Amino acid sequence: MNLNIHSSPLLDVQHLKVHFPVFGGVLSHKVATVKAVDDITFSIRKREIVGMVGESGCGKTTVGRALVNILKHVAPDVELSGDIIYHLKGKKVNFIKNSQKKIRTFRSDVQMIFQDPYASLNPRMTVAQIISEPLQLHTNMSKAEQKERVGWLLDKVGLQPEQSRRYPHEFSGGQRQRVGIARALATNPELIICDEPVSALDVSIQAQVINLMQDLQDEFNMSYLFIAHDLSVVEHISDRIIVMYLGNIVEMGKARDVYHHPRHPYSKALLSAVPLPDPSRKNRKRIVLKGDVPNPLNKPSGCPFRTRCPLALPSCAQAVPSLEEHADGHFVACPVVK
Amino acid sequence: MKWPKLFKKHIYDREEISLSIYRKRWQKFKTMKRGYYSFVILITLYIISFFLPFLINNRALVVKYEDQLYFPVIQGFIQGNTFGQDVPGETNYRLLKQTWDETDSPNWLIMPPYPYSPYEDITVEGNKMFDPPNSEHWLGTDNTGRDVFARLCYAFNISISFALLLTVLNYIIGILIGGSMGYFGGKFDLFFQRIIEIWSSMPILYVIIILVSIMKPSFLLLIGIYTIVNWISMTYLMRAEFYREKAKDYVAAALSMGQSDFKVMFKHILPNSLVPVITYFPFAVVMGILALVGLDYLGFGMPPPTPSWGQMLDVGLSNITKWWMVFAPVTAQFLTLLCIVFIGEGVREAFDPKVYSRLR
Repeated sequence: MNLNIHSSPLLDVQHLKVHFPVFGGVLSHKVATVKAVDDITFSIRKREIVGMVGESGCGKTTVGRALVNILKHVAPDVELSGDIIYHLKGKKVNFIKNSQKKIRTFRSDVQMIFQDPYASLNPRMTVAQIISEPLQLHTNMSKAEQKERVGWLLDKVGLQPEQSRRYPHEFSGGQRQRVGIARALATNPELIICDEPVSALDVSIQAQVINLMQDLQDEFNMSYLFIAHDLSVVEHISDRIIVMYLGNIVEMGKARDVYHHPRHPYSKALLSAVPLPDPSRKNRKRIVLKGDVPNPLNKPSGCPFRTRCPLALPSCAQAVPSLEEHADGHFVACPVVK
Repeated sequence: MKWPKLFKKHIYDREEISLSIYRKRWQKFKTMKRGYYSFVILITLYIISFFLPFLINNRALVVKYEDQLYFPVIQGFIQGNTFGQDVPGETNYRLLKQTWDETDSPNWLIMPPYPYSPYEDITVEGNKMFDPPNSEHWLGTDNTGRDVFARLCYAFNISISFALLLTVLNYIIGILIGGSMGYFGGKFDLFFQRIIEIWSSMPILYVIIILVSIMKPSFLLLIGIYTIVNWISMTYLMRAEFYREKAKDYVAAALSMGQSDFKVMFKHILPNSLVPVITYFPFAVVMGILALVGLDYLGFGMPPPTPSWGQMLDVGLSNITKWWMVFAPVTAQFLTLLCIVFIGEGVREAFDPKVYSRLR
């Protein structure tokens, strides 16, 4: 792992908000908003692996999709605000504010790996067609060069170049995810957003794919934003971890610090739920949260976690707590645990 | 020792070539004997029907007259006195052949296999009204002395061409509009949904009657009128398909690498949305054929004397005692539609993911 905290910045996300309006009523007007992502700020440096964890519905995937600016296609009414600034090819590009035309030239540097390897590959295209698609878009390689590059990429991700004429349905889940990785690698990106890349795979395949991704990171010096709900996977691969709850970042810091010394009560509860493969430590204290995640349509005022927080005070209902630095590079959004 | 090698090669071949889903479905369709043979028969007949002027025609294929060759089928109208025949207007080639054969003339001509035209009526010498089926007129003649078999064959070509062209046009418009509605969604979708609702409440039959009484009906005009209304049914299907497919991750992947909307729609989503298009196609063709028959029957279709099944049916029903005039178009329609429905059934089964679900 390449833990160079002082390398140059790659991505700055500032005050990102993603709100989905809900329409209803007789005249189909806006009746509410789902605040899927509510004012988050973080950054990713070059050659850094950032893990993003949180339970289902906390906005992790939405962040990933906002970072490649594809939310508008599925939900044309989505309200995006804030800044997503990439430092690519010596230039700054804002994926929210700049035009699609300007963004397009930078898209080769930001690629994505998807959660479901069964849905993320077009079933009507061969593997060669799938992997060469970004090459056709972003390079002016000839057909022969593309074919060579596809073979090389398949070899890199542990598949045989001869398999390039096959269709996705002829592969297993792990092999398909490797095809997805090869597609993401095709244009030598700076950042790969991995949206739960292993959660659809079984455990032995998970390890293979994770190790493959680490090896590739060592070889090509990319950054990863690794979105997952499996904490042990994230701790294994990440330099830094971001913990999200209901559209907000509650804790952010070096992987070691967050994993072994969590400070925010939510992170503590989340980490206590990780199963330990060590019977001698079975008496570990398990924090069980009461209640369910609140409806994002109707978020609690102030700290979003206060309805389930064991440490909640009346003052928690007043303002959304901001991230404060508790130790070197360790940010916690909780005024109580200070 | 020869066959194990062959067997091995066969296995290697299967390993090497991965079939796309559509190739697999085509192979499965081929195993549906009823549908596949209907398809082969219909396609063959349709292709043959483009060469009907060389097969069923009252003009000779080749005429050799005084050391000069004539090709009346291709050249068209040739005056009778060109060949020394004493008739007003066009040459009567059957008569000419008869005369030359009888007189042992050095001139000769070759007639098409079935030497009657769908247009030649009682004004041509030797034609009779209501001639029952015989060795010359296989399906008899109609109320104006035209050969029923010739008209039937020409009408087959017109019917199928009409239905195919109509369906393809409807599909192109329906896929473009329905696909855009599903893909872009939002206000665009809402706007077009309202337009379609208004548009689809238009009474098609009255529109056709009015338009046909103002304008001179023609093949393209009828297709145009039908297309104005019929594209709507395809938009419903395509809108739903595109809506479903655009939420899948492979579309997100294509978008995130910066693929244009047009490419995403037609390179990624469309190939995955073709199932309703293909399975619906034969039935849309059936509807197209019946639409033309209906219009012709009511007298709002192709301008006379264009051969058409609907017009033949109309004439046949008003002369119901001459059974062959009803029997011929009804049987032809029945067999054609049966073939197409068999094809549709075969296609549906070929697209069925379950292997053993054939109805017996």
